Amino acid sequence: MRIEKCYFCSGPVYPGHGVMFVRNDCKTFRFCKSKCHKNFKKKRNPRKTRWTKAFRKASGKELTVDNSLEFEKRRNIPVKYNRELWDKTVEAMKKVSEIKHKRQARFIMNRLKKGKELEKEEAINEVKKNIHLIKAPHAGKAKQLEDKMVQKLQEDVDMREEED
Amino acid sequence: MALYNFKKIMVVPTAKDFIDVTLSKTQRKTPTVVHKHYQIHRIRHFYMRKVKFTQQNYHDRLTQILTDFPKLDDIHPFYADLMNVLYDKDHYKLALGQLNIAKNLIDNVAKDYVRLMKYGDSLYRCKQLKRAALGRMCTILKRQKSSLEYLEQVRQHLSRLPSIDPNTRTLLLCGYPNVGKSSFINKVTRADVDVQPYAFTTKSLFVGHMDYRYLRWQVVDTPGILDHPLEERNTIEMQAITALAHLRAAVLYVMDVSEQCGHTLQEQLELFNSIRPLFANKPLIIVANKCDVKKISELSEENQKIFADLSAEGIPVIETSTLTEEGVMQVKTEACDQLLAHRVNTKMKGKKVHDVLNRLHLAMPAKRDEKERPPFIPEGAMVRRKAMEVDAPKRKLERDLELELGDDYILDLQKYWDLMNEDEKRDKIPEVWEGHNIADFIDPGIMKKLEELEKEEELKERAGEYDSDEESEDEEMQEIRILAEQIREKKQLKVLESKEKDVHGPRMPRTATKVERKRLEKEMGNLGLDMDDKDDSHYAQQARRSRSVAKKRKREASAPPTSRTRSQSASRPPRDQSGLRDAKMVKKTKKMMKKSQKDMNRQGKKGESDRHVFDLKPKHLLAGKRKSGTTDRR
Repeated sequence: MRIEKCYFCSGPVYPGHGVMFVRNDCKTFRFCKSKCHKNFKKKRNPRKTRWTKAFRKASGKELTVDNSLEFEKRRNIPVKYNRELWDKTVEAMKKVSEIKHKRQARFIMNRLKKGKELEKEEAINEVKKNIHLIKAPHAGKAKQLEDKMVQKLQEDVDMREEED
Repeated sequence: MALYNFKKIMVVPTAKDFIDVTLSKTQRKTPTVVHKHYQIHRIRHFYMRKVKFTQQNYHDRLTQILTDFPKLDDIHPFYADLMNVLYDKDHYKLALGQLNIAKNLIDNVAKDYVRLMKYGDSLYRCKQLKRAALGRMCTILKRQKSSLEYLEQVRQHLSRLPSIDPNTRTLLLCGYPNVGKSSFINKVTRADVDVQPYAFTTKSLFVGHMDYRYLRWQVVDTPGILDHPLEERNTIEMQAITALAHLRAAVLYVMDVSEQCGHTLQEQLELFNSIRPLFANKPLIIVANKCDVKKISELSEENQKIFADLSAEGIPVIETSTLTEEGVMQVKTEACDQLLAHRVNTKMKGKKVHDVLNRLHLAMPAKRDEKERPPFIPEGAMVRRKAMEVDAPKRKLERDLELELGDDYILDLQKYWDLMNEDEKRDKIPEVWEGHNIADFIDPGIMKKLEELEKEEELKERAGEYDSDEESEDEEMQEIRILAEQIREKKQLKVLESKEKDVHGPRMPRTATKVERKRLEKEMGNLGLDMDDKDDSHYAQQARRSRSVAKKRKREASAPPTSRTRSQSASRPPRDQSGLRDAKMVKKTKKMMKKSQKDMNRQGKKGESDRHVFDLKPKHLLAGKRKSGTTDRR
């Protein structure tokens, strides 16, 4: 039993699911669901269809080159069964997948950092341009003037007191 | 060769079916409607067509039957004789002759009635003639009922005859009933002939095929023959005799040494002598069967002498037992070798050999030095060859184990696996973990790689790659964010408000609607201005003033004003200056007016609602060939 990869979206195809198409040149294509199958029949390129993993990897939205990804690859030479090797492999798989997830998350976060800066700038611009929608330009000015006048009067009074 | 045509003979229908089918065909395939008032030639033609159609059908079908059935003169004499034995040559020929006669009669009937129909002068007369013609044809056929039945049975039996090729290499088994001929053929070929303790179990010829020396051999099993003169033989025995007489084969005369068949050796010898003439020019072998019960050496003196005599005459006598299989292979090889030699000899004596010999040339390589180069056969091949000859079982097969254990047997292929540790053979091997195939990760060097990866990871962590970088923003930035959020909200609300406004007709300018004081003060208050006690502000005063002016005066009978009084003309500014503050604004409004009219003027429109199209089908768009460019509009 093997979990195959869907040709179009690169998702897992579990046994008993999906469709396999065999072409006249003996190349087989597996699809996980009819959405992928129908897209394939419409001759769409998975590298240009935005929701597929192929697109994401090809346009640099996800981690492609990394040591943790080198562990899982299809091997053509079978290895004879050996209990301890299998045990070790299962444990190694767990650790590798942990590290892989961490690195993938980090990659995506780094990519999104730029967006955060742009957001900041946009907020500043917005406030600069459209502050009049929530606060009138001379909103606190009357009070300010009053305060100023009061302050001035106070100063005058102080000065006059001093003189006296 | 007419060998396989026996299976391709078309079904011979019964007389009733034949008639029914033909008549219904006539009804379906010829026109059915005719009226009294048609012209007479049309009526005649209609009925003539029906008669001719029926005749044609009968003729065709009968001809097909006559050609399908093999002519006894045209086929191999073996088959001709066999058919004679089984079906009686005379009866067969008679039946086919009768059908031929019937066919001719039908043709004649049709011819006569068609001729008569030319003189039919009414629909009724033509119809009666047609009825008579069809009736006569059907009666002729009804009389052939028995012939047709017989031929159908012959056809069915013919198609089930075994396909014996009379010209290829054949081994023929003959002898008394129950001596072991069918058991022999079962052992040597893949045929599955019935073997039973009663005599005449085999009632007809059976064929089996075997391979020897890369050639295909036929083995023919015959029913047993009893010892009485030819005239008294029944059909079953005659089949065996026919086979013996016509097939050029190696004859294996099977004798029962233990006399279990119910006939003594003397009787068997007598039979042998009586059918000896049939063995002329055929390689002959005597098979002494059932030797597991009694061997020749255990026989009495006289009987042993019989066998001694036979072998003295040059006929090989081989002891066999079809039960224990000893001697069977020997018989086979002996018979095949003899037959091959015989066939080669006959061919050599014929005329065709020289043509072939002239074309053959055996090349012998010239010796280049005195070194001996004998053929080399490797050890393994020698061993295997010996094993083949001895024919002994090599090792205990799985099948033997299955038979031994019976119900307890479980197929356990894992015991043959070749692993490093023997005790891991019965392990349940895991294949999948959390959506990943374990087989993709299996690598003898995986632990090393994992170590390297973990080291790398540690380095990265130390370098601070995984630190979360939520910088604490300063207060100012946070405030700005909050304000930006509020601004966005306000914008969205405004958009929604304007969408909700139900303005389908001409739009009134903003100044036409009255703004309530409360609303104004509330909105301005939201924007942060101080709106308390604004009673003597400009807008409040204006509102009071306009209210006093807007009261309606009671109109009394008074003369309508003839000319505008000066006060009115003074207080009301001219239209093109009303609403404008200063000269700058006046200039701007004039500019705006001109701008909005410029486009309309250029297009020759009378106003903004003028949508008249001067040219609905401009020639430069609709005429001409479709050259390069898109063709999605015209």
